[in-house]
Amino acid sequence: MTQPKPEPDVPVAAGAAEVATVPGVAVVHGGGVRREALHFAVRNRKLVGGFVVVLVFLLAALVGPLFASGDPNAYVGPAAAAPSGEYWFGTTTFGQDVFAQFLHGLRASFFVGVVAALIAGVLGMVIGFTSGYRGGLVDEVLNMITNIVLVLPVLAVLMIIAAYLEVRDVQVQAVIIGLFSWPWVARAVRSQTLTLRAREFVDLAKLSGMPVRRIIFREIAPNMASYLFMVFILLFGGSVLFAATLDFIGLGPTEGTSLGLMLNQAKQWSAMNLGLWWWFIPPGLGITTIVGALYLMNVGLDEVFNPKLRET
Amino acid sequence: MGRYFGRKLAIYALTFVVAVTINWLIPRFMPGDPVRAMVARAGLQDPAGVAAMREYYTSLFGFDLPWWQQYLNFWGELLRGNFGVSLWAYPKSVGSIILAAVPYTLGLLLPAILLSWWAGNKFGAYAARKKVLDNAVLPIWYVLTATPYMWLAILLAWAFGKVAGLFPVGRSFSASLEPSFSWLFISDLISHWFLPFLSLFLVAFGGWAIGMRNLIIYELEADYAHYLGALGAPQRLVRRYAFRNAVLPQVTGLALQLGVIIGGAVVTEIVFDYRGLGYLVLEAIKTSDLFLLQGIFLFIVIGVLVANFIIDVVYVLVDPRTRVGMGSGS
Amino acid sequence: MRNRLRLLAMLAAAGLFAAACTGVDGGDSGDAPGSYPRNQTLFTSGTQWGPPANWNPVMNWAYATGTVGYVYETLFLYDPLTDEFEPWLAEQGDWTSDTTYEVTLRDGLTWTDGKPITSDDVVFTIELGKMETVPYHSMYEFISSVEAVDKRTTRITFSEPRYQQWANWVYFNPIVPKHLWSNKSEEDVTSGANEQPVGSGPYLYETHDQDRMVWKKNDKWWGRDKLDLDVKPTYVVDIVNTSNEAALGQLLQGDIDLSNNFLPGIASLVKGGYQLQTYYQDAPYMLPANTTWMVPNSTKAPLNDAAFRRALANAVDTDKIVNSVYGQIVEKASPTGLLPIWDKYIDKAVVAEVGPAFDTSGAAEILSQAGYRDTNGDGLVENKDGSPIDLKLATPSGWTDWNEAARVIVDSAKAAGIKITSETPADTVVQDMRESGEFDLILDNQRQMDNTPFRYYEYVFGLPILESQTTVNYGRYENQQAWDLTQQLDKTKVDDLAGMQSVASQLQRIQLTEMPMIPLWYNGLWSQYSNSVWTNWPSAEGDGPRYLPTTWRGYMQRGAIKMLAELKPAPQDK
Repeated sequence: MTQPKPEPDVPVAAGAAEVATVPGVAVVHGGGVRREALHFAVRNRKLVGGFVVVLVFLLAALVGPLFASGDPNAYVGPAAAAPSGEYWFGTTTFGQDVFAQFLHGLRASFFVGVVAALIAGVLGMVIGFTSGYRGGLVDEVLNMITNIVLVLPVLAVLMIIAAYLEVRDVQVQAVIIGLFSWPWVARAVRSQTLTLRAREFVDLAKLSGMPVRRIIFREIAPNMASYLFMVFILLFGGSVLFAATLDFIGLGPTEGTSLGLMLNQAKQWSAMNLGLWWWFIPPGLGITTIVGALYLMNVGLDEVFNPKLRET
Repeated sequence: MGRYFGRKLAIYALTFVVAVTINWLIPRFMPGDPVRAMVARAGLQDPAGVAAMREYYTSLFGFDLPWWQQYLNFWGELLRGNFGVSLWAYPKSVGSIILAAVPYTLGLLLPAILLSWWAGNKFGAYAARKKVLDNAVLPIWYVLTATPYMWLAILLAWAFGKVAGLFPVGRSFSASLEPSFSWLFISDLISHWFLPFLSLFLVAFGGWAIGMRNLIIYELEADYAHYLGALGAPQRLVRRYAFRNAVLPQVTGLALQLGVIIGGAVVTEIVFDYRGLGYLVLEAIKTSDLFLLQGIFLFIVIGVLVANFIIDVVYVLVDPRTRVGMGSGS
Repeated sequence: MRNRLRLLAMLAAAGLFAAACTGVDGGDSGDAPGSYPRNQTLFTSGTQWGPPANWNPVMNWAYATGTVGYVYETLFLYDPLTDEFEPWLAEQGDWTSDTTYEVTLRDGLTWTDGKPITSDDVVFTIELGKMETVPYHSMYEFISSVEAVDKRTTRITFSEPRYQQWANWVYFNPIVPKHLWSNKSEEDVTSGANEQPVGSGPYLYETHDQDRMVWKKNDKWWGRDKLDLDVKPTYVVDIVNTSNEAALGQLLQGDIDLSNNFLPGIASLVKGGYQLQTYYQDAPYMLPANTTWMVPNSTKAPLNDAAFRRALANAVDTDKIVNSVYGQIVEKASPTGLLPIWDKYIDKAVVAEVGPAFDTSGAAEILSQAGYRDTNGDGLVENKDGSPIDLKLATPSGWTDWNEAARVIVDSAKAAGIKITSETPADTVVQDMRESGEFDLILDNQRQMDNTPFRYYEYVFGLPILESQTTVNYGRYENQQAWDLTQQLDKTKVDDLAGMQSVASQLQRIQLTEMPMIPLWYNGLWSQYSNSVWTNWPSAEGDGPRYLPTTWRGYMQRGAIKMLAELKPAPQDK
């Protein structure tokens, strides 16, 4: 559930406050470091390790359901069987294959993570960037909206919306999570934009009569790309956790399966009291591993882009 | 400084208005008719009886008025502290149900938040200076902070409650006890409280420790730290400065994490059947008691806003720069 | 560091404690005892799903567990297991003519506030039925007058005698004290909280909290002399449920003695040495309490076609639901839907002749004979006009057993060529759909075991169809002949078994050929008990007490109250 913290809103411009915090959104210093970044990226164990883990799970999510075809909720095996050669993760109290559910659940989790992160990322970027670049009244209004949504407890809002939805599916879930996760991105992008805007190369571009759009795409966007990539990773992890939480309290998709829904089912059918540990361990472990790997990637990236943090 | 707080308060007030409006709006756009639900439960067969009862509940819930009046009434009732009547525990008021549950949630949340913040900062700062320790604990912290709250809760309940049998799982205190100021009751209360607290604490702790660790590393790499070091200042002094600077973003982080950790408390309570707000959320969802859900939502929003304001005040008190600014400003 | 942490934890706990003390809601905490002695207290759960909020016996769907039974009592008890009425507050009750019924109270009964219980109270209670919002208002329409003949005797005169319904009334509805109720408004009667309830039963209100209801034994209960019955637990603490799995955990920890929750997987635990027990030692473990029906909306094509409904009834693999979803703690229902206690009313010849049975190819054959064919080759039949069929089966979200059962129904219907899609909207939405008739298929199990199958036939065939169907005939099936027969059954005398059988047989023929509702399985009277503190629980084995082991609303007057008199403290091993 850990959500990255944006730069704090303090009344004074503070050096310390601009530094990234858990799990570290770094401030990118300078431009034209891409080749150097790549050099360090492939040598960064955290980044590579996290990336490999995420990739393995992603592949499992994409390819797995093809092999474990058919309805993951179908009753295929004996009831409540412990893990075995035939059913790797055992079966549920109805005889559903936990491994098949896990593969399909991964797919749902990745879907929610990616879509929600894209929505939140784009929203946050547009709002934050507009706010920071245009300044004035626009900034004032957008900043106000950002602050309002930022203070609203996201999960509570999601709960109340999801509770009213008649039909809930993974798509809707991804959208509502995306719609309420952007404010810290907007804030961070805004302050990034403010610093970049003040840089000489932007001034130069302005003086040379470049249109605004070109300034944005040619000069500012590339400088923020690495930063946005990290934001996306964090949004991804956060969305996966949000979705799992909603699923767990019974506000998940009404059809299909997901890792959070598996936990919800395991709880509703007393897996813990009946000793069916193989029902609730895999989905939680899956979420933890994916999110942990994403955070690890983020630290790795942080170190890549921020030379001061590199291991010596 | 007054302007700063004024601005903050304005934002909080606006947030509250938005939250209340969302709250009022949603039930009117979504399916599921609470009046019909109440009437259906009565199981009346006679059409006249059904009509009479429907009329009664419609006026009780105020659905018979024009929408703008409903909205104004909603505000009026809210400002008088009236959150409506619960369907789940009809005819109890939502306010009284929430108030009875809040102590348990606060009892979990406050210690978990404050202790995890405090311990996370201490350990994080400590780890930042010890390379070996850092490499050992950092992965653990990352695992902790990536763990879904409910999953850790289930694991703890399973391992310490079910398998080891060390702690009871379920309820806030034994059903055979009446709350009283006796050792029997207090120890029972603590034994029920410990596991949910621990699971909230651990996840949050991981996050704070990583945050502090990263911040301290940034600070120690900052120019002033090198400068101080070059001047021959003792390492302890440098670290103290670094810690002071690093703690500020952690204070702001506290405000931003509130919503997330409240969500964590909700699911943790559900796992442990702990009788706080989380359990009410579950019941409200299960029984479609939208009035109760709205009440809890508003209550959480109010709680978060108040906590935010407290943190703002604390921030100003802690931050030396703002202290100076205040002095020169007035 | 660790020591400091521990210190802080203790401090926090102290704060929590202070908070908890203010968390107690209501109740007389003035002389609150520290605890309820474990070996004198019965802990129950499974009835109360929200905080105890009313003690109003008229709100028979929401009163705090035990309000009727522990406090308010009925004239008779009815025991479904023996099909016998037992005089309770009444000494006797008889039809003195075809249209008059006289009931006499026992001598010397008093309310727990000391006032005598008289026929005035009985008259008052029956006349509450004049109020339109009282659940038994429809019964009152057949009553022309109620009068107190003397202090103990009440005479009820009927304009149209409904013997079956009246027999239901005398055991189901509790008598309330006139001197405390006569000045209540209609709203107070039908939706008031009725705090501090005063009744006549074996328990007294002790206290309540957000998460429990506590009853204390009434040492002056009339039944100790007059019935030679004594309820054993000094305190009964009913615990508010949060979830079934939480109840299971507490049952295993020995914190709950009697759980009336649906506990999937209980079968493996009963045999696992946890000192747990159920009514039957083996499958189905539970007594059947009610029938779960699939209700087709007979106003919509193709469900308006009896042949299609029959095909559907043949297509559902109920055994799979029983085995896989419920792990054999329920039983497959009779094709008539009648509970096992009504076996004597089932005409086996009719069932054998026209009753459905699970048969996928048989279902497909009925479909093709009725003209439903697969015209586009997708393996699923289309409407007669060639349009595709896609029926929606709605079960409330969170009703996990039904959601799973729906999945099985969808699969087995598909095998027979019928496309059904499972939907799980919120339960209020399902309620909405059910009442307004805007559904294709739903599941429903509202009618409980009872003194007369009339209650089931009324539920299946009830007419007229109104804009909003609140209690009966959700499928809006219109068959005047069936409804006439149902009313004829109602007017049959309770002791006229042959008469009832003959009407029931005719109804069954209509029901099985028309299939207005499809009976699936018998929901259990979920009940599991721990022998760690109390023993001698109801059991079908040996000479165990044969009573309904439940605290569910409406079941105390079905004999469950007597379970409390049979309990024995478990031998304490020190």
